[in-house]
Amino acid sequence: MTSFAADRARRTTQVDRWLAELLGAEADVALVAVGGYGRRELLPRSDLDVLLLHGGRDDIASIADRIWYPVWDSGAELDHAVRTVPQARRVARSDLKVALGLLSARHVAGDPELTERLRAGALEDWRSAAPTRLAELHASYDERARTSGELAFLLEPDLKEARGGLRDVHAIQAVAAAWVAPAPGPRVRTAYEQILDARHALHEVTGRRLDRLVLEEQDEVARALGLLDGDVLLRMLAGAARTVVYAVDHAFRQSDRLRGRRLRRRQAERRPLADGVVEQDGEVVLARAADPAGDPSLVLRAAAAAAQAGLPLAPRTLDRLTECPPLPVPWPAAARDSLLALLGAGPAAVSVWEALDTEGLVTALIPDWERVRNRPQRNPLHTYTVDRHLAEAAAHAAALTREVARPDLLLLAALLHDVGKGWPGDHSVTGEVVARDVGRRMGLPAADGELVAAAVRLHLLLPMVATRRDLDDPVTVKQVATTVRSRVLLELLHALAIADGLATGPAAWNDWKATLVADLVRRVKAVLDGEPTPQPAPLRDDQLELAAEGGPAATVIGSEVTVVAPDRPGLLWRAAGVLASHRLAVRSANATSVGDIAVSVFDVEPEFGDPPDASLVVADLRRMLQGRLDVEDRLDRRARAVRPRSANVPAPKVSLIDDASDTATVVEVRAHDAPGLLWRVGRALGECGLDVRAARVETLGAEVVDVFYVTDGDGKPLAGEDARRAIVHSVLTALGDLPLGGNGLPAQDAGTVRRPVAWVLCLRPFLTG
Amino acid sequence: MKLITAVIKPFKLDDVKAALQAFGVHGLTITEASGYGRQRGHTEVYRGAEYQVDLVPKVRVEILCDDEDADDLIGVVVKAAQTGRIGDGKVWSVPVETIVRVRTGERGPDAI
Repeated sequence: MTSFAADRARRTTQVDRWLAELLGAEADVALVAVGGYGRRELLPRSDLDVLLLHGGRDDIASIADRIWYPVWDSGAELDHAVRTVPQARRVARSDLKVALGLLSARHVAGDPELTERLRAGALEDWRSAAPTRLAELHASYDERARTSGELAFLLEPDLKEARGGLRDVHAIQAVAAAWVAPAPGPRVRTAYEQILDARHALHEVTGRRLDRLVLEEQDEVARALGLLDGDVLLRMLAGAARTVVYAVDHAFRQSDRLRGRRLRRRQAERRPLADGVVEQDGEVVLARAADPAGDPSLVLRAAAAAAQAGLPLAPRTLDRLTECPPLPVPWPAAARDSLLALLGAGPAAVSVWEALDTEGLVTALIPDWERVRNRPQRNPLHTYTVDRHLAEAAAHAAALTREVARPDLLLLAALLHDVGKGWPGDHSVTGEVVARDVGRRMGLPAADGELVAAAVRLHLLLPMVATRRDLDDPVTVKQVATTVRSRVLLELLHALAIADGLATGPAAWNDWKATLVADLVRRVKAVLDGEPTPQPAPLRDDQLELAAEGGPAATVIGSEVTVVAPDRPGLLWRAAGVLASHRLAVRSANATSVGDIAVSVFDVEPEFGDPPDASLVVADLRRMLQGRLDVEDRLDRRARAVRPRSANVPAPKVSLIDDASDTATVVEVRAHDAPGLLWRVGRALGECGLDVRAARVETLGAEVVDVFYVTDGDGKPLAGEDARRAIVHSVLTALGDLPLGGNGLPAQDAGTVRRPVAWVLCLRPFLTG
Repeated sequence: MKLITAVIKPFKLDDVKAALQAFGVHGLTITEASGYGRQRGHTEVYRGAEYQVDLVPKVRVEILCDDEDADDLIGVVVKAAQTGRIGDGKVWSVPVETIVRVRTGERGPDAI
């Protein structure tokens, strides 16, 4: 790529020499270059920022005239001021823009000592007022980012003002000048030169002082820079801007911390977030015992913890995470769950994903990502580059996880739906192949991998048909039903269409389109039958043996916990409570019965570190069965010690499904996972006077889908509408008490009656009470 | 000069565009619109839950043309957009005083 740096330096030297001639030999006067001119960055159409500094001379006006008039006459844009050193410092103290300009002050002509006094004084003022000035700087940066958007992902970016643009590097320099953060490193300096060169070329090509790189100029600017075309230019700028954004965010975190420290003045606490991952001082760092070199899943675990907590990953942590060896193929289940927990965090996931990407960690996880990385799209509908669009779509999908039976597959499909854009041809077709590969790599079960691949292939089907085909024509609906085949996939496609549309831009999704797509989905749903209800999985021989003995008994084998006891109300959720009190997260649970004996099988995993001693868990389960353990008290004490999650997750949803069972009422709970969730929901049902006869609990990444078959005190399904409303209300209240993000309020449509979903297992009656 | 406005079913847009192109119309404006006419939205019972559709999504097509072409164009649009069922939409025309092509400054019929 052509560099214009020499051109800028030459222009600066010429102007310096000219101004020096205009000033001549004068005592007690100095010409000082500030702003871009001070940094020797004169572009073809830059204005000249010049300060005429004097020690209090009465005839300064005539000297000023002697300099300004020739400059004006030459047609150059002049930004000028005439001040003494104390005046200049006073103005800088009240005006942030002036203060920033003075940080790059450079002596041009006249008395060098005068300039030096100003430079030293301005720096001293800047440092002594650093906490307030940096807060001001941060606020102006946020405002700028809000109005100008992000350079890396906009198709017509403002090179100077956008987030990741030139001004951000000046901000880093300003923070560094206050001795709060290091000066920009070599990567940031290279990125800065690239953006500056693009702006330089834009001035050359248009002959105007433009900062916004509009579509029509992109090819020409690229040619001036010796690049192939506008796409190559935008890719280069996107890479540069990401580097800058990452650095400026870090600089501002340092400066915010400076403020925080003045207020707190105590040792930063370390709080555990996940195994090997802790929070310190508002950032996510590795625990002292963490071992990146021997722990390939650590990258995703740390990222998931950061996104769920709504905190950034510390730069040195990211650095250390690059030491992690690549994940084995197929991925272990824990890594997959972490990825889902990361994506499920919604908007908070986007910046964590960006941070991983900056260090090349995303392409290490998903090599196919490289082909969509920084890829611009020449399309008036799209706001973002392909990779950011995918991350945004996943973030929007996270808000829709309550609407689908498989939130995990929705998140993956959203992340991958446009991954085919890196290959020639129809991106839905190429994307299906890539998605299937990625699914295999992640170790998804084959059927799930096929669903994700199908969702990618068909992700444009619903919006296309809804807007271009006659929905009143039964053939249209039938064709879609034949293509989609299952309600699970239809739900996925509907949520994916919404997430994709929202992530594309305001022109791509609106109420008009949403209404049409929803109408189509409603019609297709009516045609599709619910899948046949699967039979309950039979118990294994060893479990049957245990049941035959009649219990009470509890065993822990690896991650599987089995509890066997005579039927009794509240058994399932009390057992779940015991597990939660040992910091064991319930990944899945199945409850069934053999005669009068209830058998509950849990698949658990430790929240942090090594699993607890199995014999302790068994001992506590036995005490619980004998009624000698107060689970409630123990968990309440623990809940108070847990850090509230700040990820903005969708509110839980509770539905009563009518036609899934003749002998019981089915309660379905979809919620964000949290410690002790099963226990709380079960207790809420118990408090309503209900017996949980059977249950199926599934944790999909960070989302939970629980199904409970309940009966009233007389062993009958619930009849009254009031009783049903009371259940929904009390379960939602129990969930609202959880340390969940969001407002915890019931969803608008909570409590609606739905058809059973595919995987609901009809389990034989459990506890009869 | 006339402005012809058609409010039609969204899926009929491609047919209407093709028919207009065949007629020799080179420019038109499309807007996504919603509304109701005699169709009045509708209430459906879906799986026990009542489902209310207030406003029906439509597409609005606008075409500028010479006075003598207006009737023929309306015929073309109606033919292309017709399904014979309720909610097919409406087509109307209104007289236009001035038309200016922004790029060249041409006025009147030349600017169509």
